[in-house]
Amino acid sequence: MRTIFDKLAIVRWLTDPLAIGFMQRALLATLLLAVAAGLLGAWIVLRRLAFFAHAAGTATFPGLVVAAPWGVAPPLAALGAGLGFAGLLSRMTRRGATSADAATGLLLTAALALGTILASDVYGSGGGVDRLLFGTLLGLSDGDIALAAAAALAALLATAALGRTWLLTGFDPASAPALGVRAARGDRALLALLALTVVAVLPAVGALLVSTLLVVPAATARLLTASIGGLLGGAVALAAAEGTGGLLLAYHLDLPPGPAIAVIGGGLFALVALGGGALRVAR
Amino acid sequence: MDILSSGLLQRALLEVVVLGATCGALGVWLLHLRHTYAAESLAHAMLPGLVIAALVGAPLLLGAAGGVLAAAALIALAARDTRVGPEIAVGVTVTTAFGLGAMLALTPDVPARLGELLFGDLLGTTTADLVAACGLGAVVGLALWAGHRPLAAAVFDPLAAPSLGVRPGRVELALLVLLALAVVAAVQGLGNLLVLALIVAPAAGALRLGRTIGMQIALAAALGALSGLLGLVASAELDLAAGASVALAAIVLWMLAALLGPRPPSPAGGTPRSLAETLSASGG
Amino acid sequence: MSAPAASPAAVEVQGLSASYGPAAVALRDVTFSATGGQAVAVLGPNGGGKTTLFRALLGELPTASGSATVHGTIAYVPQTERSRLDFPVSALDVALMGAYARTSWYRRIAARDRSLARVALERVGLAERAGTRFGALSGGQRQRVLIARALVQDAGVLLLDEPFAGVDRTSEEAIMGILDELRAEGRVLLIATHDVEQARGWDRVLCLAGRQIAYGAPAETLTNAVLEGTYGEEIVMLDCGHRAVAIQHHSHSHNH
Repeated sequence: MRTIFDKLAIVRWLTDPLAIGFMQRALLATLLLAVAAGLLGAWIVLRRLAFFAHAAGTATFPGLVVAAPWGVAPPLAALGAGLGFAGLLSRMTRRGATSADAATGLLLTAALALGTILASDVYGSGGGVDRLLFGTLLGLSDGDIALAAAAALAALLATAALGRTWLLTGFDPASAPALGVRAARGDRALLALLALTVVAVLPAVGALLVSTLLVVPAATARLLTASIGGLLGGAVALAAAEGTGGLLLAYHLDLPPGPAIAVIGGGLFALVALGGGALRVAR
Repeated sequence: MDILSSGLLQRALLEVVVLGATCGALGVWLLHLRHTYAAESLAHAMLPGLVIAALVGAPLLLGAAGGVLAAAALIALAARDTRVGPEIAVGVTVTTAFGLGAMLALTPDVPARLGELLFGDLLGTTTADLVAACGLGAVVGLALWAGHRPLAAAVFDPLAAPSLGVRPGRVELALLVLLALAVVAAVQGLGNLLVLALIVAPAAGALRLGRTIGMQIALAAALGALSGLLGLVASAELDLAAGASVALAAIVLWMLAALLGPRPPSPAGGTPRSLAETLSASGG
Repeated sequence: MSAPAASPAAVEVQGLSASYGPAAVALRDVTFSATGGQAVAVLGPNGGGKTTLFRALLGELPTASGSATVHGTIAYVPQTERSRLDFPVSALDVALMGAYARTSWYRRIAARDRSLARVALERVGLAERAGTRFGALSGGQRQRVLIARALVQDAGVLLLDEPFAGVDRTSEEAIMGILDELRAEGRVLLIATHDVEQARGWDRVLCLAGRQIAYGAPAETLTNAVLEGTYGEEIVMLDCGHRAVAIQHHSHSHNH
């Protein structure tokens, strides 16, 4: 029996890479990130934070560029850049000075421009930029895996504790105070969790493609289910499947993981969106 | 000044000043009609077109045009989604298209110089590039000038516009076509990740400084051209990437205008919002 | 539903002024009081201060002078357009939200509250729609679900924001029935409405147009003079001045 399966190319396509050390690490990281990004992704989709999540991811780019030359741990540098972005965004949209859309788009463009100048002209990072923008299979450290585990744990705890708050704040914010729900507190926690998760997925998918794990799986799940529980579970499952598939594709094609996961995730979304009206499960 | 002595820089300067002015003016209308997200989406999602052109050796302009068309069609399709909402559907589409472009660029043995496609190659502007950019820029500028009144009607009074002989739907479509042309024109110099700066930043600043639409358009054109000049000078003097310098110049000018400009009237019935509500208003 | 406990529900407002910012005073000098069992119709044009008053009573407005005291817990029944209709929540889920205030964050919602929610849905006539997605219900049904949520809260004071706007006949009757029951239970109802004629059937009317125009029993208070003072030119007199209709502007609220 075993020899027959061994000879099937597709099986080998799937299992061969997983015998290799760095791929096992990458797979572990991906599964942990799937929990974190899937859960958070459900809330991102419900609370309409998709553009902001993408922008926050992109905004970390300058931080990632200076991390090595300045001797700072990349997650910290990324967090710093992200916080700077959020702060500037808040300031620039104050009192309706500039619309949120425009300010977000401009600040993320600024982050890209700044990052590329720092990379090519100041620190000569040159070729390493691809890894920062699109992720890597090889360079995942113990720290990266620990961070992924922390993000997964944080997402589980936060969803259990604040899920009702986040649900109500999204559904009917006007009634939150009357229902004893602390909307502002819940939102601060949500943004903090978003920051943590964005920083955690950066090594795997890169600054430009955080949406592949944070938005796409949850969006696909949203097409398939009409309940919160289904959305949360579905997002995690899809993120795991897409992440793993993307990992294997990246290995075989010698690509960074980010684009590979993007193509698989997008393909699945299109499949469900175009084919799937009948698949919708009503509660 | 050194900058005028080199043919390379002369071409770059001319291109970036012309594009700055045209994109600036265009941006004013885009901001009033709240199409910033569409601009950003179009620019990002066109990447596969650029990459394919680079891989097969076709002119970049062709790849840009093809990429923009394909992106626009997909985005239009996605924007109709009612189940997850247009913002998210478009976001998924853009992410996928962008990822596909990166995948195409990074797989083959001869990489398609992804960096230049993403961040531009302003100092590599050939005369042909310059002619194309100026030509497209002129078309956009002319169209904006000729279409000024229908645009104003569509923006400020969409309900009354039909009685004035203006169909807002058509006007918006025309504007998006102009956006596509502007993106195609600017992508060689700035790359598809940075074009947004030239399209939105001068206009965003002008909206803070100008009280009438005419003033805003003039200011935006001026700011756009100025961004091009300042960016290129900084790039030449400090030896920095040219496209990125122009983008940053535009954005810094916006920030100065927005922070130092006159305070806008506060929104009526300003409800205190949580940060997430403010954030989720983006693209909502 | 049990009647509220020992101290009766009441609302006391004294010289209340509220604003959204230093320059935008939305409401001036409101003084009235209502006790348990009373339904107060809050009349006035859009932007006249009805929503502002509700926000002040809910304690949401930071800048206010004067006082607004609410004895008992308070529930808010908003217009359904304010809710996100695409959310994956069922009618039962929404009714259960009424129990959030008394459920600690680390606990699941108690079984007792779950049955309360079902009873509440039954009371508003939507027992068999408990599993339907909220957004899939009609406008009137959604309004009834939001009332069921307020029932689960078991609040002494209910603020209802135009509960009859765009509501079908069946729902309108169901809602009227519920409101009468709530009055009988000794709760205080404040009902923002545009329906001047309907207001004549309640216990009190409060007329707001940026400030308090009048407060009292409908018979004495709803004179032509008061109505014109409240609505300005938006009031239309029919039937030789015996009936009044307020012109409604369909305002697109920007409070998203």
